[in-house]
Amino acid sequence: MTDRETRYGTWVAILAVVSFVAVVAIAVGEFTGQRLVGGAAVGVVLLAYSFILLFLRKGGFTGV
Amino acid sequence: MPELGRGPRIVGFLCDFAVDASALTAPDGTMRQLPNVTLIKVPCSGFVRPSWLEFALRNGAEGTFVCGCPLGDCFNRLGNNLIGDRVVQLRRRFERQKIHPDRIATIYFGLHDQEGFLGAVKAFSDHVAQLPGPVVPPPRPAPTRPAAGARPPAGTAAQPAPAPEPSSESGQTAQGES
Amino acid sequence: MYSRALTRLLDWTLRLDVAINRVYPEDFNPLYYTGGLSNLFLTVLVLSGIFLFLYYIPSFNDAYISVQFITNQVPYGQIVRGVHRYAADGFMIAVLLHFFRNWFTDRFQFSRDEPWISGMMLLLFTGFLGVTGYVLVWDERSQLLVAMTGRTLGAVPWIGGYLQSQWLGSAGVSNLLLPRMLYLHVGLAVLLYILLWWHYVRIRHPKVWPPAVWTLFSLGLIFLLTGLVPAASQPPARPDAVPSSLAVDWLFLLPYVALKVLSPLVLLALAVVITVYGLYIPYQLPETPAALGIRDSGIAQVIDANCTGCELCYYDCPYNAIVMVPSPHPGVTKAAQARKLYAIVLESRCVECGICVGACPFEALELPRLLESDVQQKVVQACRS
Repeated sequence: MTDRETRYGTWVAILAVVSFVAVVAIAVGEFTGQRLVGGAAVGVVLLAYSFILLFLRKGGFTGV
Repeated sequence: MPELGRGPRIVGFLCDFAVDASALTAPDGTMRQLPNVTLIKVPCSGFVRPSWLEFALRNGAEGTFVCGCPLGDCFNRLGNNLIGDRVVQLRRRFERQKIHPDRIATIYFGLHDQEGFLGAVKAFSDHVAQLPGPVVPPPRPAPTRPAAGARPPAGTAAQPAPAPEPSSESGQTAQGES
Repeated sequence: MYSRALTRLLDWTLRLDVAINRVYPEDFNPLYYTGGLSNLFLTVLVLSGIFLFLYYIPSFNDAYISVQFITNQVPYGQIVRGVHRYAADGFMIAVLLHFFRNWFTDRFQFSRDEPWISGMMLLLFTGFLGVTGYVLVWDERSQLLVAMTGRTLGAVPWIGGYLQSQWLGSAGVSNLLLPRMLYLHVGLAVLLYILLWWHYVRIRHPKVWPPAVWTLFSLGLIFLLTGLVPAASQPPARPDAVPSSLAVDWLFLLPYVALKVLSPLVLLALAVVITVYGLYIPYQLPETPAALGIRDSGIAQVIDANCTGCELCYYDCPYNAIVMVPSPHPGVTKAAQARKLYAIVLESRCVECGICVGACPFEALELPRLLESDVQQKVVQACRS
């Protein structure tokens, strides 16, 4: 694993955990009827995914 | 033919809206820091016909490249993507013709990215310098069948308008396998 | 002086690009996809707007209540309302970025003027859409906006009273106001799509979506903001008094803030001057490339003898400047004799970029002052030096 891969790979892993937590928050928000929490959590998931895509590219895992 | 100490002869096509190389270039078009590289300015990287890249290689250049705007920011919207696609196709054609595909390249640099441009051209020049063999393979020998009329050597080329054939120092016939 | 200022702005814009390209890979640079980002936000606005439209009631008594109903009773209504609110801000930001970038990088010159003109109109109507959207909620801010707009229109000499009554729907504020505002809001949204057709007509393969990274980012930001700062109405509009303070959305309501310091007539005059100047931008510089001192290769010319009707130039021209017509007569070369189609260059759309020349495998296109033989001569010269 090159240094670049390690650095960005760690960030991808962290973001994956964050998005998992956010998905749980979506479910929790749905079950407790607090839909705003669910909405914000959807936002967190999408933001985390956008950065995951960016870091996958910068780490050399995907792309040209 | 590589001249010792000068590096391989490189012809580069640079579009009007990509990197501003005026400070890097001498009046005759050669780059100051890389005198083996000559730049030809074109209105858009998409203007370059792939046949001109092959023409350059068959007329003394050892490598040619096209430099356009950064991908996504072509001043004319599609030019750099199009020349990128055409050069990919040309590289495959070169492989079939036994011309080394790394002798052509596309690079993309914006107006103020002189450092990046210089670095990429230097890397290309160094890479071409260590490519093996002749730039274009020698023409096939003529068939030895006795015939009433002399056959033109190395097959006929099916081009609608034949390219002009300047006398070339390297002594290659221009119509090889096409 | 203007062209020097433009050059300076082009400079800064492209230096900004170098900085952004260090962080983001080139094909993710958001400034290359400002049009696509705008379209993304517009799509989100239309979809969320349809949802809101299904529940909204445009009448004095029921408008505010229907909006509250959407927010509190309709499942996910508050989220859709918030998405609509923040996508509108995102849309305005993306459109302004698109405007400034295309202005500062000279992408409006010569035959590229029509996307610019249609774009200016799109920008103008986007502003109107935002204002009517704020009015539809019919809270205190809406009431203030209606009053201020009415006063501004009324200040126009001679036809002011007429304009004001057209805006309000009758002599004063009445129950005819909100249906009119709803009609303007939805009608202008439809008009945006008509103007977008004009905006795209001279552009081949318009980039209407941003890269996935930015789609996800924009949608994520909208949802996050919706959850953190829920869109809410101000106190409801009171029939007896007009409120004096305005909760400002700087992106859409800047002219109303300006009304604090400018008189309505001055504001209108300023708006007209700015709009007319914006429409004039493509025509401000000299008419021809030669006069501008830049390369002047000439309009692309089709070589009748060689054209085979293969359509490659047609597909590659970025400005839809080439059309294929049934071949009027056969060409000269073997391949051209069998052609069914023939390429024609529309001079009014050609920007002399030469991309068609690079596309043509049959040497049937040339730029008159930069021929293939000129290029080959330069190559030979370069190989000799």
